[in-house]
Amino acid sequence: MVSAATVAPAAPQSLSLPPPQFARLQPHAYLLAHLSPPVASNQPSARANGRAPSQFRVTSANSGSLTHTNGSGMVRLGDTTAVCGVRAELLHTEDIPSWSVSQSSNANKRRRLADSIKLSGQSGDHEETEAEVEEDRAHIEDLNLLVPNLSLSTGCAPGFLPGAPPAALTQALSHKILSLLHSTRLVRAEDLRVWYQPPNLGPEELERHNDEEHMDVDADEAESKPAEIKAFWVLYIDIMIISLAGNPFDAAWMSVLTALRDTKLPKAWWDVDNETILCSDSIAESRKLSLRGLPIPSSFGVFEADAAAGWRAVVIPDGEKLKAEEKKGTVQKWILADPDGYEEGLSQERACIIVDKEQNGKTVIVSMEKHGGWTVDTEDLRQLVDISARRWDEMKQIMDQC
Amino acid sequence: MNDRRRVNGPPGGTRPPVYASLLETGTGAGDRSQRQRQPAELRKICMHDDNLSAPAYQTNLWHFRTSVLKTGLIPSASGSSYLEFEPSASLTAARANPKSLIPPSSALKLACTVHGPKPLPRSAAFSPNLVLTTHVKYAPFAARKRKGHVRDSSERDLGVHLETALRGAIIAERWPKSGLDITITILEAEDDRWWGDAPDSHDASWGMMNVLAGCISAASAAIADAHIDCLDLVAGGVAALVSNDSTNSSSSAPRLMLDADPAEHRSIVSACVVAYMPARDEITELWLKGDSSKASLAAGDQRTGHEALIDGAVDAARGAYTVLAEAVRESLQRAFDQS
Repeated sequence: MVSAATVAPAAPQSLSLPPPQFARLQPHAYLLAHLSPPVASNQPSARANGRAPSQFRVTSANSGSLTHTNGSGMVRLGDTTAVCGVRAELLHTEDIPSWSVSQSSNANKRRRLADSIKLSGQSGDHEETEAEVEEDRAHIEDLNLLVPNLSLSTGCAPGFLPGAPPAALTQALSHKILSLLHSTRLVRAEDLRVWYQPPNLGPEELERHNDEEHMDVDADEAESKPAEIKAFWVLYIDIMIISLAGNPFDAAWMSVLTALRDTKLPKAWWDVDNETILCSDSIAESRKLSLRGLPIPSSFGVFEADAAAGWRAVVIPDGEKLKAEEKKGTVQKWILADPDGYEEGLSQERACIIVDKEQNGKTVIVSMEKHGGWTVDTEDLRQLVDISARRWDEMKQIMDQC
Repeated sequence: MNDRRRVNGPPGGTRPPVYASLLETGTGAGDRSQRQRQPAELRKICMHDDNLSAPAYQTNLWHFRTSVLKTGLIPSASGSSYLEFEPSASLTAARANPKSLIPPSSALKLACTVHGPKPLPRSAAFSPNLVLTTHVKYAPFAARKRKGHVRDSSERDLGVHLETALRGAIIAERWPKSGLDITITILEAEDDRWWGDAPDSHDASWGMMNVLAGCISAASAAIADAHIDCLDLVAGGVAALVSNDSTNSSSSAPRLMLDADPAEHRSIVSACVVAYMPARDEITELWLKGDSSKASLAAGDQRTGHEALIDGAVDAARGAYTVLAEAVRESLQRAFDQS
């Protein structure tokens, strides 16, 4: 561009547009021109924002800056910023309708399951039994112990009116986060329970034993004094998207992760005198949540050189020839990692892959979704999983630093 | 009643945690943080020095080491700003060496965006002036008590005050038939009193007044960042008459403090917020609350209590103005660099 200007400095302005105007008037052509530069120009194919197709934006995370939260996190994904605050409140079991009923039936079920396991002789101490998994799920999901809410009405983008009820995107994101929290079983129900061990009231107990001498004392003690759950911690997870420039889900979920990793719950106990739950404000007695794994999402958008080609082949009956051409791979597409707001507007097909890694470095696909088109095939998805696995390593490092 | 568009918690409701140390009166509640500043000294909005120790700047949400009144952080808006107060000495100490889960005080953090000027919807009536809409919302985790998702009366009140403050500064007749949306999200608010104090007769939403002053300054910076013509930058300032005595004896008349943090004083008797334009020496918004009849001023000072209070608030606004001017200069520099 500079050389052209020096060659013909006096030439009148031709009918050309400066790049920002071109980008606004012809967004599709603008991005296409960037991704497929003329062969002669010898430029590498890059996106309009200068990134390579599989390159994510600069990400930073920090935690613990908000005073009135149990845990907080902020994640910046380029220009997209999400702030998440976790507030813990107590749900007393007496406030849960029909708690005692469901509890006694559950206890029976648990005992039966435990018996069956004992009979078959395969009880493992460290492995979670099926009953525990089910109880974990029942407590967290049925009692709504995790309450994530995302807010876009912060003036983060012009399209979302502040003060209006949550838009469709807001509701979709909130529910996606909720279902991911449930399906990954990220938070352990055990961390959220407040137990109470009823004291052994010595003399009265002894008297009773004397009266009923025929009963087995040991068994009686074990039966009459089980520890009971008095309350649950409810985690209100509120995410404010402060700035929206594409890919809100990745930013929101990672801010939730950062905040949950930072969350400290105070030590809580049932106070018999006050008949309520009291907490200790000492940091030394509080404990952090022990999360299961670290699921990291990677979102992709698909940009097609000729978006209508595939559809035309279906709609127009004599488009068989076109279809044959397409099979040969003449249709060009780019899978763009971490699309920004501009690219999101140009891509119909989206993919989101959430991966986690086990201790031994094995990659586990937690969730994989793709919608809006049919250009991404299984081979592409396999590559995307590899990209997501690399992204996991990168994010793990960022999260460990904050 | 149930809001089906949000994820709701347990239907029976939840209770905030009760700390055992608060039940044992007088003990364990810790010490009230003391004001370390001079009566006329403002809290810093900017200047987290580069040579501060690590924990000091980690309290800062964005990990900026320099100015904490920043503009242009939200590129999708026409103008934006982020404001954060320097945490009080006790809060910094509590962060560096955490002992208790109860924070001693809080530091204001808010983000402001400006969208517009944009055409009014077709259905709207003709307006020869710019139509200003202000919207202030606390994040649910902003205060000691959890806030709801729907705006409550205090948030609407703040919005109205903010609108009055800005309307006097914007040259509205230059944009007929257009609208301007100003949205403020408060990520961390100020306390109304020290958390260990029992509620008493002097209680009012004093923290809200500090929040309003912050909102005015931040909104002014964001409007300048959006390149909207104004008469001058509007700066917000707060002054308060505080008495550190619990007894209402006449010997300890309340003293004037600029930019008082309610968590640092036993009781605030009266407070005043102004939105002030230094270049024109003009006040666009004035909000005075409480009893300002008694005040211990310097000997020979003939002013009445409320005059002193308003003068104090104007002084505080002048202090905020210097920070504001710096932030706007930065914003303009960026605009020149880009073009």
